[in-house]
Amino acid sequence: MTSIILLSIFGILNLFMGFMRSNKVLLPGAMLLLLAVFGANLADWNVVHAPYFNNMLVVDNYTVAFTGIVVLTTIVLLPFSRSYVVAGETNLAEYYALLLFSLVGAVMMIGYNHLIMLFVGIEILSISMYVLAGSSKRDSRSNEAALKYFLMGAFATGILLFGIALLYGATGTFVLSDLAGAVAAPENASLQPMLYIGILMMIIGIGFKVSAAPFHFWTPDVYEGTPTFFTAFMSTVVKTAGFAAFLKLLAVALPGAQGFWLPTIQAMCALTLLLGNVGAAVQTSTKRMLAYSSVSHAGYLLIGLVASRGNLTGDAASGIFFYSLAYSIATIAAFGVLKLVADHRQRDDYAALNGLGKTNPLLAFSMTVAMLSLAGIPLTGGFFGKFFLLAAAAGQGYIGLVVFAVIMSMVGLYYYLRPLIAMYLRPAEEGATPVPVDGIQTATLALLALLSIVLGIVPGFLSGIL
Amino acid sequence: MSPLFLFLSFVALLSALGVVLAKNPVHSVLFLILTFFTLSGHYLLLNAQFLAAVNIIVYAGAIMVLFLFVIMFLNLNEETEPHKPALAKFAAAIAGGSLLLILVAAMRNVNPVGYDPTSFDSQIGMVDRLGLVLFQQYALPFELASILLLAAMVGSVMLGKRETGERNF
Repeated sequence: MTSIILLSIFGILNLFMGFMRSNKVLLPGAMLLLLAVFGANLADWNVVHAPYFNNMLVVDNYTVAFTGIVVLTTIVLLPFSRSYVVAGETNLAEYYALLLFSLVGAVMMIGYNHLIMLFVGIEILSISMYVLAGSSKRDSRSNEAALKYFLMGAFATGILLFGIALLYGATGTFVLSDLAGAVAAPENASLQPMLYIGILMMIIGIGFKVSAAPFHFWTPDVYEGTPTFFTAFMSTVVKTAGFAAFLKLLAVALPGAQGFWLPTIQAMCALTLLLGNVGAAVQTSTKRMLAYSSVSHAGYLLIGLVASRGNLTGDAASGIFFYSLAYSIATIAAFGVLKLVADHRQRDDYAALNGLGKTNPLLAFSMTVAMLSLAGIPLTGGFFGKFFLLAAAAGQGYIGLVVFAVIMSMVGLYYYLRPLIAMYLRPAEEGATPVPVDGIQTATLALLALLSIVLGIVPGFLSGIL
Repeated sequence: MSPLFLFLSFVALLSALGVVLAKNPVHSVLFLILTFFTLSGHYLLLNAQFLAAVNIIVYAGAIMVLFLFVIMFLNLNEETEPHKPALAKFAAAIAGGSLLLILVAAMRNVNPVGYDPTSFDSQIGMVDRLGLVLFQQYALPFELASILLLAAMVGSVMLGKRETGERNF
């Protein structure tokens, strides 16, 4: 609750800071505000709060943990907006304000205890993203991305809302805990089909937001067209919040209908893994590859949903937490390096990374750690993320799914190694100058690489906390 | 089922089909207005008087004007309508048809519990009741919806604002 209030106030404050017409204070200002939110959020750890405002919002360790991820991700993302500061971007205050507002939506999606909170949260997050996707106004690809995302997202929202309405019609309540009782022991058995269609439509709506197959078709185009800084936000914060909401919905409200949604989620999971990984393997642009890779990571996270079997605590939920954290850290680093390189070299295919190991060893190292973490190589956070999720799934007896996921992560190795080959084995273009990186970006990249490695060496301090 | 319900549903379905099938965008919009009015009739039947009034004011009033404005502003008509490939039409028809089939098949046997006429509160859809619920039980989402509107407003100003060096039309 504190984080929602602080984020809302700070968002408005940021808009007013835009009046100063000085971009120099905005970036450190926004980072400080977010650090304050991060601290206020952590203060709620292990503190028991009664549900806020008639069961609208629950602040428990689950909420605090996932809110921590989304706020931390945004903090480490902000330094990569330096190019906007330097270029004198006039809308910088609005960008930051929209990021803060979208975090309000993300926290609502994580802490909701009432379906209307979920819906308003998803809408706040989505509308901010539609705008930020089109923030590069003179770039037709950015315009295309915004329009595409908006039209399809609005449609998916409609489906989600239809699902919520049917769920309400079948159970007569919006509150998650009451829903659980009404789903497990329905008063009127003839309403069961309505309930199932409602669940299905909600799965479709949320599946679209987290880009799970077969609702992922928008992802590559939108991620590619969106300015890289915001793509990084989209593929981390939106996904983390979406999965936190998804897990909560399935685990708290719908464990009674598990026999219905479990096969659906399993099928989506296998399909997402397949389409994400195979799609990523055939890309030539690094940004599109990362877009498809984010689809494939949605697949790994779906394994966690399958393995959770209606538990908000335990191995699977902790696994989803750890995986989201490791994935967010690695993705921010990858997109950060890509943004710096693409800004300097004016291209974002694999060849843009050629010779980066020679010209910018730090950027290359940071990208290497990120790629290895995303691929799930031991000694990086991504390895333990995958390990925890797959172990949880294997513990529940989903051996087939686990084997399939391992095979798919081998496909993943193929495309995650391609940037490394470009950086270290291919020569840079004639007369390529080093990519300019300033102090705060260097520090952030070093921090991100360090975090990835620390999570991969001593995962114990964050695993199993839920 | 009352005859009024059947009549309203019939008109609603027919005009909704008209929205999709009409060739002329302005006709589509007019059909949409008709759909909204029939939906308001349904709200009245459900004892939701305030909702019915708001639906007409906001949707049939404000949103429709916006639609018409955009259509006239962009000068959309039958000639400028982009040609949709037959495959897309076919796929959309299949997908929509499957959804319809599933919904009808699933809802066919649904038997919702009716209300009890002796204990029914006829004031339930009145605006004062709505206000009490909105500002007591739903205070938090109501306030947070303002963040949603603010984000949308900031976004539209940001996207619509004239940049330095750009010219007006």
